[in-house]
Amino acid sequence: MKCKKIFSILLVAIMAVGIMTATVSAVDPYTTYNYDAWYNAVPSQAGYEVIDTYNGVSMKLSQLSDPESEFFISENEPATLSDSKDFFVTKKGEFYIADTGNNRIIKTDINFNLLACYKTFPGSTSKHVVVDENGNEVEVDADELKSPYGVFVDDNDVIYIADRDNQRIVKCVEETKTSARILQEYYRPETPLYDSVSFYCTKVLVDAAGNVYVICPAINKGAIMFSDSGSFVGFYGANRVEVTAEVIRNKLWRKIASEEQIASLTKSTPVEYANFDIDEEGFIYTVTEVANATTDAVKKMNPAGYNILERTADNNQFGDQVSATYNGTTYATRLTDISVDDEGFIDILDYTTGRVFQYDERCNQLLICGFDQEEQRGGFNNPNAIETFDKKIYVLDGRNNDITVFGLTEFGQYVHDAIQLHNRGFYDQAYDLWQEVLKRDGGFYMALVGTAKALYNQDDYEGAMKYSKLSFYADEYDKAFEAARQETLRDNFTLYVVIILILVILWFVIKILQKKGKIPKKLIATGCGKVVNACKNAAISVVDKIKKGGKGK
Amino acid sequence: MIYDMKPWQWVKHVIFHPTEGFEDMRWKKAGSLKISFFIVFLLFASQVFSSRYGGFAYNTRAYSDVFNIMPILVQSVAYYATWVVSNWSICTLFDGEGNMRRVAIYTAYSLVPYIIGNTLSTALSYFLTLDESIWYNAISMIGLGWSVVMMIFAMKACHQYSFTMTFVSMISTVAGMVLILCLLALVMSLFQQVYVFFATIYTEILYRFRS
Repeated sequence: MKCKKIFSILLVAIMAVGIMTATVSAVDPYTTYNYDAWYNAVPSQAGYEVIDTYNGVSMKLSQLSDPESEFFISENEPATLSDSKDFFVTKKGEFYIADTGNNRIIKTDINFNLLACYKTFPGSTSKHVVVDENGNEVEVDADELKSPYGVFVDDNDVIYIADRDNQRIVKCVEETKTSARILQEYYRPETPLYDSVSFYCTKVLVDAAGNVYVICPAINKGAIMFSDSGSFVGFYGANRVEVTAEVIRNKLWRKIASEEQIASLTKSTPVEYANFDIDEEGFIYTVTEVANATTDAVKKMNPAGYNILERTADNNQFGDQVSATYNGTTYATRLTDISVDDEGFIDILDYTTGRVFQYDERCNQLLICGFDQEEQRGGFNNPNAIETFDKKIYVLDGRNNDITVFGLTEFGQYVHDAIQLHNRGFYDQAYDLWQEVLKRDGGFYMALVGTAKALYNQDDYEGAMKYSKLSFYADEYDKAFEAARQETLRDNFTLYVVIILILVILWFVIKILQKKGKIPKKLIATGCGKVVNACKNAAISVVDKIKKGGKGK
Repeated sequence: MIYDMKPWQWVKHVIFHPTEGFEDMRWKKAGSLKISFFIVFLLFASQVFSSRYGGFAYNTRAYSDVFNIMPILVQSVAYYATWVVSNWSICTLFDGEGNMRRVAIYTAYSLVPYIIGNTLSTALSYFLTLDESIWYNAISMIGLGWSVVMMIFAMKACHQYSFTMTFVSMISTVAGMVLILCLLALVMSLFQQVYVFFATIYTEILYRFRS
């Protein structure tokens, strides 16, 4: 409840700030926040700020309709992006933008200067049957894209495109500045295992071995996996079913119901994941775009499709922790894209709120940026894709038709440097950086944890206990407490032994004296009685005095 | 053995003689209501203590800023009161010999080991690491078990039942407690609505007079 309250206050604050732009002096038009140990939203420093935004004009897409230019495609080629669904950045720093509405792939350098724009794709093995104006069915070469939803580029500049409405994956290389030659196409697998009639692929990814992974929203068995040669291998890493009351009830019914009744029950099926990314080591990260998904919202899968985050993550809550309703709109986290950079930071894009949530490799919440006011810099309407390159976050908006670049602030830089040392076990070196973080945000959760670990390493157990208490980290506290207890025991060992010896001797002496009859049996009892009586009399006399005083007045 | 003991000595006696203690107490018509209520207060206090204090690793909840005393009040005083009422009502029907005063006293006396175990383990958690939690658990479990044993013999002595009858009566007492608490919740929500009704009429009248 409290969490929800704070969150809604925060949302209102963000809205208010969005409206009263005049009062804002900071760079960001929104208040930044973070989550504390109880998953309550608390205000925090901005870790990222908007550096720049790029759209069709700044990419100089007008060259595409300029006959003089080497990028000339046609006279009426649009000079803006249109409902872009995906983009990809290579290790060399080249962007490939799937311009979905304009059926083309745009290639730019890191500063978004146009390098190429692929419009035609010769070399297709298949013919497409289309109905022309006269109503006749004609076969045409499938040398154009139809709503390319996803793009991926491997280390050899081979482009993989999820050509959604042509129901194929296109594997191609650059031929000219405006066309790419198709090397291979992947169509709907002709196997009984694949039980959907369509192959509306939206995202594509290739691992180091050349296996192609494809996401189709209609398939909930996981990603469709093709081998390098193009044959269907199987499904990869399906989500699990989220356990709800309904699922349990159906499971119970299934045990007692007849077969006809079972057939009428709804099947419990998992939700397909919406998007994925692959990291340097070949682990595939997936996100599930369902409002407030809790089961398998974010996964990191090994080549066998096993989610290793279940064992390695410190935290399994992603995105905003509660949904809030404001002005008739319910804001519930919908994770739409994920990006993992070469330093291991996981960035997750929330479609509803336009926020980017950043986690470290152990899924500890680090920084949050972005918001949902599309009219302003750093705000989004249809945030479709996120990529990271060289410590910058790039967010593609399909409605604003632009790309926003976030860069680290000083605070964010401190957090990044510190968490990297921290996760590699260099707690001592991270200590100073965590102190810098704490100077700017005294409640930063990971900074408190990091400080606790560093102090423990420096044998300052009292300090470690204090900071692990602040970060609500019971296991770390226990470690520090055990060490502190051992230290006090060691330092005062003689004292404790002497005290225990004295008590034991005293006990024996009293026993012996009692046996000899030198202490009256009820000495202690009567002693207590005397004390109690004395107290009683004193209390009565005090009460009397007060009473008399009251009467006297 | 001489059984002319002071009231607080009787408490000690029943704790350390769980099987015969209550029979002795019944024979001597001993047991004090004042001490019983004090024990119930101690039960409440020890539950507050164990939920608000303790080593950080054992009880992280104690260090959060949210604390609600009502659940603890219900868990101690209200449970005790409903137990007494429910047990008396059921055992009156089951030919039990105990009156309500005796049920209240015997129940309260048999709570003492639980209170001691609870308080001791909470105090001990300040000095224990998580690896040594077996001591923490052992002490609280021994206290609880002792109390359960005492409760069985207390009810047996109180109503002069056989063992089977004691168990039957205790289980039906728990069922009765659930019933009483449900009815109480119902009555409370009803009264709240009645209160809201009259409050609305009052404000309504107030508005009429003012305008």
